[in-house]
Amino acid sequence: MQLYTKAIGEVETAPYRKIIHVDMDAFFASVEQRDNPDLRGKPVAVGGSRERGVVAAASYEARQYGVRSAMSSLVAIRKCPHLIFVKPRFEVYKAVSAQIRAIFAQYTDLIEPLSLDEAYLDVTERTNADLTATQIAQAIKERIREETQLTASAGVSYNKFLAKLASDYRKPDGLFVIKPHQGLAFVEQLTVGQFHGVGRVTAEKMNQLGIFTGLDLRQQTEAFLIRHFGKVGHHYYSIARAIDDRPVTANRVRKSVGSENTFAHDLTEEPELLAGLEPLIDDVWAYCERTGVYGRTVTIKVKYADFQQITRSRTALTILNTRSALHHVSTDLLTTVLPLPKPVRLLGVSISNLDTVTTSANGQLALDL
Amino acid sequence: MKFIVSSSVLLKNLQNINGVVATNPIVPILENFLFRLEDGTLTVTASDLQTTMTTQIPVESSDNGAIAIPAKLLLDTLRSLPEQPVTFNIDTDTFGTEILTDNGRYKLSGENPIDFPKLPTVNKNLAVELTSDALLGAINNTVFATSTDDLRPAMTGVYLQLSDDNATFVATDGHRLIRYRRTDLNSSANTSMIIPRKALQLLKSSLPENVPVKAEFSQANASFSFGPTQLICRLIDERFPDYENAIPTNNPNVMTIGRTDLLNSLKRIMIYANRTTHQIRLSLKTNSLTISAEDLDYSNEANEKLLCDYDGDAMEIGFNAKLMSEMLSNLSARMISLELSAPNRAGLLIPADKEENEDILMLVMPVMLNTYA
Repeated sequence: MQLYTKAIGEVETAPYRKIIHVDMDAFFASVEQRDNPDLRGKPVAVGGSRERGVVAAASYEARQYGVRSAMSSLVAIRKCPHLIFVKPRFEVYKAVSAQIRAIFAQYTDLIEPLSLDEAYLDVTERTNADLTATQIAQAIKERIREETQLTASAGVSYNKFLAKLASDYRKPDGLFVIKPHQGLAFVEQLTVGQFHGVGRVTAEKMNQLGIFTGLDLRQQTEAFLIRHFGKVGHHYYSIARAIDDRPVTANRVRKSVGSENTFAHDLTEEPELLAGLEPLIDDVWAYCERTGVYGRTVTIKVKYADFQQITRSRTALTILNTRSALHHVSTDLLTTVLPLPKPVRLLGVSISNLDTVTTSANGQLALDL
Repeated sequence: MKFIVSSSVLLKNLQNINGVVATNPIVPILENFLFRLEDGTLTVTASDLQTTMTTQIPVESSDNGAIAIPAKLLLDTLRSLPEQPVTFNIDTDTFGTEILTDNGRYKLSGENPIDFPKLPTVNKNLAVELTSDALLGAINNTVFATSTDDLRPAMTGVYLQLSDDNATFVATDGHRLIRYRRTDLNSSANTSMIIPRKALQLLKSSLPENVPVKAEFSQANASFSFGPTQLICRLIDERFPDYENAIPTNNPNVMTIGRTDLLNSLKRIMIYANRTTHQIRLSLKTNSLTISAEDLDYSNEANEKLLCDYDGDAMEIGFNAKLMSEMLSNLSARMISLELSAPNRAGLLIPADKEENEDILMLVMPVMLNTYA
């Protein structure tokens, strides 16, 4: 807590944490190239159909052409006409991910997975004079290479924010360490766009305010940042000082469950939309029934043909523990976006504010109305 | 514009309609009462856009005109004044309002009456005459069971179904459901509508006993007139859930018991139930009912044994005592029956001795007991 009030350059007396961020290099694409020698050295994109799909991962060869993950397949092909599309095989990725996590587990219990291919490790307790965090990161990288024939990049530092920046710094197959006395200097020279959590739009806004680098950002007052960026301004203020107190938390609790679908053709009519919503509600409801976990908040996501995306959400007083309640709220939310301003490409339904029947509705049964 | 009125008469009439005035209205003008003076009659209007109430008071005046006056300021003044004739002196150009009394002089600034929303008109599609007692009976028995969840707007009001031989009022919050039917009220129109909770609560507090009420309904609005007062509300434009299907028909296990005996026992046992779930357990055997509750957090527990008339299967069923006692308190019958089928199916509370012209059915969903076992 003291960290936030500390003046620049003041020497930190508390012992530093040792955080490693491990990130697999072009994970899905690398797995495909590993399993299919024909793909090696070629631009590969893992993703859905060429017509409507998006790139889930791109190999380094493809990235040279500007192909990025989350890019629509059409744009990707325009950038790289000889791009090879591969259907994703999530079972394989999950298996590899489990292998990697088993390796992490041999070094620490404090593992916070961010996705299948990325995790924070807190190894503070495991380091001593003979074994530094850097050595652990090196060992993890080697074990991953031996056991999966894949490469990972690792970043080592004293908080999550810097560890993640570090792993990104020497990709692929990199290992980079930001030591406590280097943190400030490292952040100073970054462009704001390189900050994790600062997207294109925020970066532009910062540029307009004359903030281009980490140093520029640090020279702003906290009040100024909060005035321009709201609550997240506080976060920017801290990270510009290389301060990030977020702990590495193992077993993160699931916060939301959702299902979404990109339609084979754009939807324009209300009945089509409502019909498109049904299987998504079914998916979410199937999760609720299987796990006994229900949501109080429903969010629907609508992505238009021009990729503009909106979400609408609503929170009920009690958890939605009948399908009809979930259905009612979902369809009601969908009608708030009608009439459609433009064709719809994708619909999504998700629930959050999750809770179980036993803790919130305490077994009270509801009428199926 | 000037008029003289008795402070207590004005206060009583304003209090009757003041419930409409929202604490934080969408449009600031709605913090005011609209005063309209015409031929010695003062018509006062309060509105929250959804619900509007008006009342008429004879006053001493030869002027005509209108003004909007801050409701809270005026009511606070009248409440603190001893009974006396008070004089309102209103400048219709500046909307400055002066109240002259024996005690002194009070000045407050009114607002332009033009800004006050127009009163909705109810095209008299359908008019029904009834007594305030019948209407109060219907409101008292149903409005407490409406939902406060704005996600299901249909359930935030009372459903009224008018048919040839009866009028049915239905309210549900998803855990319980009340069906209140009156056979002395009917209409050949065969229509249905959802009346919002707030309007019914306002009626409940302003309806005098045993006066004739004229109810008028159109597609979008309902109007209730009694004495000098009228309430107009916008109806909830939603489809009410198919409630008939939720009422179980085959309930072979019937317990009959004195209503106050059961209610008093519930109130005692409830003290020992979990404070958030209010979960109690009913164990039924031949002619015997055991009510028990426990709060594991505090090691509290209680049970009582009551005599009853029961010849169904032995059964254990859980209920939320708060819901159940609320329903029992709203009934007036001496004996009630609780009709059950299974521990996970709805229970029906039905008065065993019926009032004339009245048919009440209360349904309550059980609580699954295994959650605390």
